[in-house]
Amino acid sequence: MKNVLGREIPERLGERKLRLFEGAFATTPNGRKADRPQKVVKPGENKVLPSIEQAIEKTGLSDGMTISFHHSFRQGDRLVNQVIDTCARMGIKDLRIFPTALFPVHEPLIRHIENGVITRIEGSMNGPVGAFVSQGGKLKAPGVLRSHGGRWRAVEAGDVKIDVAFIAASQADPYGNANGINGKTPCGPISFSTVDAMYAQRTVVVTNDLAPYPVYPFEIQQGWTDYVVVVDEIGDPDSIVSGTLKITRSPTRLHIARVAADAVAASGYLKDGFNFQGGAGGMSLAATKFVGEEMAKGGVVAGFAMGGGTKLIVDMLHQGTVRTILDGQAFDLTAIESLRGDANHVLMDPGHYANYDSRGCSTYMLDAAFLGATEVDLDFNVNVNTHSDGLLLHGIGGHQDVASGSKMTVITIPTLRGRLPVIVDRVTTVTTPGEVIDVIVTERGIAVNPKREDLAERFQEAGLPVRTLEEIKEEADRFIQPPRKPVFGDEVIALIEWRDGTIIDAVRRVVGWE
Amino acid sequence: MSEAQLVGSDAKRDCRVVVTPAPSLEIQIEASNQQLLEPGIRAVVKNTASVLGVSEAKIAIVDKGALDYVISGRVEAALRLTFPKLASAMSRSIPREASERNRIRRSRLYAPGNNPRLLIGLELHGADCVLVDLEDSVPLNEKQATRILVKHLLTVVEFPEVWVRINPLDTYGQDDLAEILRGRPHGICLPKAESSADITSLSKEIEKLESSYGIANGTTYIMPIIETAKGVLHAEEICAADERVVVVAFGAEDFTRDVGAKRTVESLLFAHSMIVAAAKTAGIQASDTVYSNLDDEKGLIAETKQARNLGFNGKGVINPRQIEPIHAVFSPSEQEVKEAQQIVAVAEKAEEHGLGAIAIEGKMIDKPVLARARQTLELATLVNKGGS
Repeated sequence: MKNVLGREIPERLGERKLRLFEGAFATTPNGRKADRPQKVVKPGENKVLPSIEQAIEKTGLSDGMTISFHHSFRQGDRLVNQVIDTCARMGIKDLRIFPTALFPVHEPLIRHIENGVITRIEGSMNGPVGAFVSQGGKLKAPGVLRSHGGRWRAVEAGDVKIDVAFIAASQADPYGNANGINGKTPCGPISFSTVDAMYAQRTVVVTNDLAPYPVYPFEIQQGWTDYVVVVDEIGDPDSIVSGTLKITRSPTRLHIARVAADAVAASGYLKDGFNFQGGAGGMSLAATKFVGEEMAKGGVVAGFAMGGGTKLIVDMLHQGTVRTILDGQAFDLTAIESLRGDANHVLMDPGHYANYDSRGCSTYMLDAAFLGATEVDLDFNVNVNTHSDGLLLHGIGGHQDVASGSKMTVITIPTLRGRLPVIVDRVTTVTTPGEVIDVIVTERGIAVNPKREDLAERFQEAGLPVRTLEEIKEEADRFIQPPRKPVFGDEVIALIEWRDGTIIDAVRRVVGWE
Repeated sequence: MSEAQLVGSDAKRDCRVVVTPAPSLEIQIEASNQQLLEPGIRAVVKNTASVLGVSEAKIAIVDKGALDYVISGRVEAALRLTFPKLASAMSRSIPREASERNRIRRSRLYAPGNNPRLLIGLELHGADCVLVDLEDSVPLNEKQATRILVKHLLTVVEFPEVWVRINPLDTYGQDDLAEILRGRPHGICLPKAESSADITSLSKEIEKLESSYGIANGTTYIMPIIETAKGVLHAEEICAADERVVVVAFGAEDFTRDVGAKRTVESLLFAHSMIVAAAKTAGIQASDTVYSNLDDEKGLIAETKQARNLGFNGKGVINPRQIEPIHAVFSPSEQEVKEAQQIVAVAEKAEEHGLGAIAIEGKMIDKPVLARARQTLELATLVNKGGS
């Protein structure tokens, strides 16, 4: 079956019949949300367990079940490997894991895929696990990649039934209230897991810092938590968040960021109450910094900023350039500290900012957003999931959610990465469709989606170098021999879900080279 | 034939090429994304070897994301070091016309010719002129490879105006010229210029090469850099030495070292004024030295304003982020343009009516004021035409 973008999509995934992507806002769900078993905890009952092993026993975790994790500890995560190792030791197999994202630190999972402990993965696979799975034949079913909002929706809709959610928390109380901003090794918001806590059949909070009741803010609430496990180590503080994120120093990338900021300034959106999404990549940071300077120059105060807490954004809050930060994840220690101390730095979960099947998203209130891409094509489609060699290496993050919501979505890309072109005729994988991308900024000019004549006119008036994507591509391609293209077989490695649960693309196994 | 020759590096956007004599052409390629990139790299290497007429060599290349022109530059250099008798490859170059003599030159952006990462995108930062260096930033053992790399850069990248700083003619300058003129830069920058003879001998060299490379005679400009005491004292003859000289630059670091001075406004004042006077006498532009403290934008702006107030037309740039502030200083403000337009309009009207002395809001408009107003308008036109 081909979807509206001409991408070949399989009919089913196991017993789940797949729906085809039809457009960014084409579907209207009319069902009921999923549920979880009723359960009553009476006064005096104890939820604290001494080990992960006991939690596995108590929750009844067994062969074929689905377990979930969040990725807020990122490369410093110590929980996922611990839980899977324990499952393996206890002889549990055929697990489906449902992480928000995996990182290179989770490379040991490859062994557990090989020995059958893990047979399915639905979640972002950044790094070695992605590369391993891309070889094909490793899992019983294709992986499923979802955006922040898409994952939330999938749990609520019952597309994914979580049997046991393991939620790493840097601080928790014995009753199961927990968060990621306090404790010995804070990681920032852990609210990616809120939906897991609410809908999993059993919810286990794991912490290395058990504090007296009540622990607050309660990102995870006692009413959702079945058990609390205390472990020695939950994460490696050196790899959880950066001390300070570095703004890019590359002249080319700074130039791109500058033009992106100029585009925002010329767009007409940059006025009091302007809402924007920054980001943590070197180029997004630079663009955010430049936009901040434009705001300061024009005396503009932003309504809210989102896209992850960073020192840069926090400084803008303190200087009064930004009124509110809405924060779903924190990228540095300053942001975490600010979450503890600043009343206008507000925790939020993906259900609040990104869920398609909801009564409204924060991303819909955005005026402008800066996002990246691995590849873009002449139809403005964006790929963030696969490399040009077809390997599945990155998650979607909030890309789809932000791009579909923001009034002006700006993709910042260099035209070449090393010898690889970033602008291609047809992206290897569609993550986000061109219909929700407004502007692509490169070091060789700025391309505006033909749907946005209005923006093109404003940019031209401001003297910005507006060009077609074709022109920019042609100019960049002069510097390189075209790379060889992979040939894809039939085997589907992973499905890329659009945020409404339809399938926007399928990643297939590379079987050869053109 | 000599031993195995290594050219390039493992730095980002570069490649490392090792050539050894062999019975036939053998190409070995190592690249990240090997599957994707190997055929393209092979095509570039093969083409370079064939243009040079080499068929008996083993060429091993480790790629770190080099663009095609970097690869051909590195391969040509390694081949020519291995087989010194090989003639320079004359690859197809993009057409490049002479630039306008008096075009806007507020900024001249330096880039070391031996660092591909810094060469990439050099044309995109908005500098009025770009200056690729073969001299001070290039170690002795890389001179040959660098001039070949820069030639390849020039053959594929379009610039608003591109200059190459060669080594002094009595060291490597002749070889530099012979190589890079094949890439047809807009101009040649001569360091440590000290006399009119330095300029005329350079001009003669260029003329010879222009003829043999099919470049229209006299279209390659010269930018002398004055950076010694002797050069300062001879500024007048240097600026007037040759038609090719369209701009003169000042190098403060070498100058202060030469005279044993500390770099201050006062210690540079004589050289500054001398160079400006010499340039203006010869009817050419003067460009000030670079400001090396990258993180001090205030200092940069202050020093640039000084230079502008002394009569300089531009300034050296060592990092793209210095371009914007420098351009701002050297471009007339809207207010200045408005005033100038008013002065010129009033003066022209007065002339029509045969009036003598005129005034605007009680201020006398005499000849120099009018001339300065016209200069401001000319500059504004140049900014609109050539810069950003």
